[in-house]
Amino acid sequence: MRTATLSGWHIASRVVAGVVGSYVFTWGFVALASAGLLTAGLEFHEGTNLASMLGLLVYLSALCFAFIAASLARGWLVLAGGGALMTLAGWWLSRSLA
Amino acid sequence: MFANFRLSLTWLHTWFGLVLGFVLMVAFFFGSMSVFDREIDRWSLPETRIAAQPMPSFDHILAQRFAQMTEPEAEQRAAAEKRVTQPLPAQLTASNWNAYTTHRDPVLLTYVGFAVPHSTLPDDTIYAEQTIDPRDGHALHRDQLALGSGFFYPMHFSLHLEWHDIGYWIVGLSAMAMLAALVSGVVMHRKIFREFFTFRPERNPLRSTLDLHNLTGVVALPFHFLWALSGALIFVGIYFPVVGAMMQPVVEAHEHEEALHSGLDHDPSGKPGTLASVDAMVAVAKAHWAGKGMPGEVGFLSVNHVGNSNAYVSIYRDSTDRVASAEGLHFAGATGKVLFEDPPDGPVTTVNAFLVGMHLQQFRHWTLRWLIFIGGIVSCICIATGFIFFVEKRKTVHARQGRAGSRWVDALAVTTVTGMIAATLFVLVANRVLPESLADRDLWQKSAFWGAWLVLLLHAMWRSSALREARRSKAWAEQTWIIAALALAAPLLNALTTGDHLGKTLSAGYWPVAGVDLMLLLTAGIAFVTARRLQRSTTTDDLPVAQEPEHA
Repeated sequence: MRTATLSGWHIASRVVAGVVGSYVFTWGFVALASAGLLTAGLEFHEGTNLASMLGLLVYLSALCFAFIAASLARGWLVLAGGGALMTLAGWWLSRSLA
Repeated sequence: MFANFRLSLTWLHTWFGLVLGFVLMVAFFFGSMSVFDREIDRWSLPETRIAAQPMPSFDHILAQRFAQMTEPEAEQRAAAEKRVTQPLPAQLTASNWNAYTTHRDPVLLTYVGFAVPHSTLPDDTIYAEQTIDPRDGHALHRDQLALGSGFFYPMHFSLHLEWHDIGYWIVGLSAMAMLAALVSGVVMHRKIFREFFTFRPERNPLRSTLDLHNLTGVVALPFHFLWALSGALIFVGIYFPVVGAMMQPVVEAHEHEEALHSGLDHDPSGKPGTLASVDAMVAVAKAHWAGKGMPGEVGFLSVNHVGNSNAYVSIYRDSTDRVASAEGLHFAGATGKVLFEDPPDGPVTTVNAFLVGMHLQQFRHWTLRWLIFIGGIVSCICIATGFIFFVEKRKTVHARQGRAGSRWVDALAVTTVTGMIAATLFVLVANRVLPESLADRDLWQKSAFWGAWLVLLLHAMWRSSALREARRSKAWAEQTWIIAALALAAPLLNALTTGDHLGKTLSAGYWPVAGVDLMLLLTAGIAFVTARRLQRSTTTDDLPVAQEPEHA
């Protein structure tokens, strides 16, 4: 395998992106999906359960994505940036629900 | 990350699979043990070797028992003291009483919830727990350890690492790594259908290890995927408490609406109230289920807002004949009138409850129970052969270059494969050997397990020096001999200390204990044959194989 061409820092960053970056991304997904599904009129447990169940598959996809993303910077941007944006959007949507 | 998609996922498979594979071994092995947790409980608690019992009378047995449970568990109270803004009162008041049983339980789990006032967490509750004999309500001795449901089962999902629930997080991440390893494993092997039928035991050990890894991975692929996923789903509320953490007003609005709709108050009224006959409510519930064409027994019973005028009693049918747990029927505590019946679940919640129920399998179906056990063992074989392949592939190069990587992987593989099985058998032996009157007998048993496992780790590390010359560590054979000896000793000690030898349990048809004994003897037999073969091949194994198939 061609690990020799990659620095230890690069690999460590991929691993952290895969584990922590994916967590941030999934958190954002669950927030946005929960708020979105409740706004769309789903019953509370139906909406939140669906968001969490899909969240696990989103985490799995994000974990794989962190390793196949062409550039490390783009991987981090999508995972952390996307996660933060979705968290914000989910929170903003949820304010009109209560 | 690497030149292409497939190589990147191969890296993910190798390294996440290796590092978290040690955790996955623990999760899948003790998960497999947990399939028969109630049976292992009977083996380890001889005084509970009686037939399964239904939920006992609340009015005659449970009410007195709950009234005596006035103190939460000391460690839970200590933890709660750290998250309150005002000191906890010396005496907390019980807020709910709960009793839980299944079709395999001769004993009943009871627990009492105490609301923690002035907590920084919403709805903070701590508990007192007690296992009782439902025939007369007497409490089982606290120092007794139910090895199946009290030790192996929590190990399966929490590793007994309680600090900040860190064990749950490690196991959850490992479940995700398992899913990623399955996805990447499928991507790596384009000839997946052919590999399903490929096993070449006579070829070199590297090739046959990989064949077995692929075969066990593919043959039970749906099991591996669904059990890792549903396991993570059970604790998804711990991993992603998103709605509770970010959208508390939405949660409160929902709780308020639900309380209005159902008539079940979310908070206690604060005014004293009395409790009508709960047995009468149980009779109404049973008649209601029978009327719906699904007669059944009570699985879970709870009294909420204990002592308050708005107390209510929730009664749930058990899950003996269904995968997901059933809807509850709720009664006004003061009058015994039906307040509310949970509506049928929506489609999403039905799928969720099915996945969770499938994983927890409280239904009565022994064929499925065995298939799930076998699935868990196949997962263990898949993970273990992954370790062995990792070592076999690298040991020659590592030995030549003086690198220690494959040596330490081999030591950890021995520890989590043979070492874990031997430590598990050791705690069964300790359970039979430690005197019944010993104080803290539960702690002694747990210490026996951890102590034995630590010794086997040191043994594996010591013996792994053979890897420096690319030879096989003798620890594999030696620990397999230990397994054979312990697995033979455990049923003998059971017969000696309890008199319940196989002749007796088999002729009485008492399968919980007979089954554990028979599985132990089978383990001893397999270990004996394996140890002999390992010993023979370890002594003749001086020719490391250089040929490497295309795989990482």
